[in-house]
Amino acid sequence: MIYLDNAATSFPKPPAVAEAISTFLATGAGNPGRSGHRLALAAQRAVSETRRLLASCFGVADPARVAFALNATEALNQALWGLLRPGDRVVTTSIEHNAVARPLNALADRGVAVARVPCGPDGALDLDDLARALEAGPTRLVAMTHASNVSGTVLPARDAARLAHDHGALFLLDAAQTAGVLPIDVREMGLDLLAFPGHKGLLGPTGTGGLYVAPHVRLAPMRQGGTGTRSEEERQPEHMPEALESGTVNTVGIAGLGAALRYLMERGVVNVAAHEAALTARLLAGLKEIPGLRIHGTADHRRQVASVSITLEGWEPVDMGAVLDSSFGIAVRPGLHCAPAAHRTLGTYPQGTVRLSPGCFTSDEDVDRTLAALRGLAGAGN
Amino acid sequence: MSAERPSERYSRQAMFWAIGPAGQERLRTGSAAVIGCGALGSATVELLARSGVGRITVVDRDFVELSNLQRQVLFDEADAAAGVPKAIAAAQAVKRINSEVAVQPLVADVTPDNVEHIVSEVDVVLDGTDNFETRYLVNDACVKLGVPWIYGGAIGATGMSMTIRPGESPCFRCMFPVSPEPGTMATCDTAGVLASTVVAVAAIQWTEAVKILVGDREHLNPGLVGFDLWSNDHLVTKSSRAPECPCCVQKRFEYLEAQVTSRAASLCGRNAIQVSPGHDLKLDLAAMGRRLASVGPVTSSDFLVRFTVGKHELTIFADGRAIVKGTSDKSVARTLYARYVGT
Repeated sequence: MIYLDNAATSFPKPPAVAEAISTFLATGAGNPGRSGHRLALAAQRAVSETRRLLASCFGVADPARVAFALNATEALNQALWGLLRPGDRVVTTSIEHNAVARPLNALADRGVAVARVPCGPDGALDLDDLARALEAGPTRLVAMTHASNVSGTVLPARDAARLAHDHGALFLLDAAQTAGVLPIDVREMGLDLLAFPGHKGLLGPTGTGGLYVAPHVRLAPMRQGGTGTRSEEERQPEHMPEALESGTVNTVGIAGLGAALRYLMERGVVNVAAHEAALTARLLAGLKEIPGLRIHGTADHRRQVASVSITLEGWEPVDMGAVLDSSFGIAVRPGLHCAPAAHRTLGTYPQGTVRLSPGCFTSDEDVDRTLAALRGLAGAGN
Repeated sequence: MSAERPSERYSRQAMFWAIGPAGQERLRTGSAAVIGCGALGSATVELLARSGVGRITVVDRDFVELSNLQRQVLFDEADAAAGVPKAIAAAQAVKRINSEVAVQPLVADVTPDNVEHIVSEVDVVLDGTDNFETRYLVNDACVKLGVPWIYGGAIGATGMSMTIRPGESPCFRCMFPVSPEPGTMATCDTAGVLASTVVAVAAIQWTEAVKILVGDREHLNPGLVGFDLWSNDHLVTKSSRAPECPCCVQKRFEYLEAQVTSRAASLCGRNAIQVSPGHDLKLDLAAMGRRLASVGPVTSSDFLVRFTVGKHELTIFADGRAIVKGTSDKSVARTLYARYVGT
């Protein structure tokens, strides 16, 4: 099988991930921070180590500022619901995933003003449009994706963060498509909040992710409960990461994520980025040669991550996806990709697109075989 | 009504040597579930109701349509015009036929989640389904819980039936160890069916059910009954339990545990459902296209076969999956898959 659905979750994972999970379950799966016995300490060690690796991956000085979450969606919800109050204003974009769009819609019902900056038909964000939206009123937060999960288009996060700060707003980055794929440094980029999944570009298991919270930002926790520390206090502790980590964390998944991060650092995020950029360039070049095929996005590997949305004349995306899988063994994702607003922006609503997302284990040959399959489908429309 | 003197209503039946007043009373206190209420199911439900089986459960998720009326004897034009669920229409018909019968309609797909509850509440189960997968599921549940069930099938002029007594006779999987591949078998919707075939199978199923309910195990049909009403073939295949049967010998209930069942998934952002077979297979798309040509206009390519039924469009792919457009209801998609691709 050729797996081109890495934007949904990466596959395969480095073999060390399964090994770490198996070893951890067999030898160290106690409850971290709840006791002093051998297993509790082993679990504590695994969790702390992964937290340190994440901090070093994202340029975070104090690992305690990184709280674990189930996935980027949970981290984004914690950031948005934990920060925004009725009367606040938030600026976002028209290319967001439902993980940002839906909580903001719900918050809008509760009195939060939401301004959406329209992106272009290639998914790109014009910073002048963002500046105008910020000038329209005092803003608490700018919340946006680092790269579209549909078109792969990379948004100018660093400049957007600077603009947000210039206007007195905080900046939340959704790194669902970029963590582990593009270099991210919270200090250098000026990120106040960073939500990331563990199971996509970071190559960890599902059920892992996290939220970085800058030292000057305080969030109301979405959950209260046991933290293993300061049990005598009647109220949820305010210090990180316990403030946002009530209940036993996903120690098994976190142990796996740690192994994934060690793999990634050994290989180098920069090298992974270069590998994926080369694959994207090869894919885009081949796609442009196929008659009747449209690329919905930048069509420029320097302006996007390895997530390419296409449509083919005569084919409904859903059927094209099924044929690629059933006749060619190529796994892609057709449809709306949980991002209807992004598809409206790209002009591909409601039929959606077929998304091809190679990953760090995809080869040139995989890309070439995919292109050959698509050439076979072009002209065989139905 | 006492056991000694059944009402006038059942006198001809109670006069029969193997039933008698005591047998009639056993029918009154007995219960049956009919799973699937199409042609076969509606014929057996009617016979069960007329013969005075005290409690009848009717399970079907489908709605009455005009094309059903040629052979689905419980339904009429008003049911089809109103699009009444078959289970409800059957229950209403039963009440008109015999008000002494308690009938419980269940408008639902039979699934691993509900099948055990359905079969555990009755003395005998009658098969009225149109697909192998549901039969394997019913077989798993009945073998697990020790409830007898009676398989029935009809296509064209060919009928089949088999009585399964868990722990005593071969089970359905002893006889049919693996499901025919989707797309390889004719279905009533691709090959047609005679009403007489259905009635003949229903007659066998009802008689077997009554033998079980009155407690006459000795005369139960010992094997797989098969016949062709058109070419006058008739045979009974006797066999013994398969020594390695995963279901009744090894007690691995793979369908109940949903390990081998087909999977239905809704497709993100589309009014469409994808139904996939539970295992790897390679479909002969050309043959599939030829078989479906009798149903209506078919579009075929190297990659897919597509045709339209009413407001639904089915696209069938080389690995046996189908995308059903025009619905977001998984059971509608599964029903159409069973009818036209077949499992």
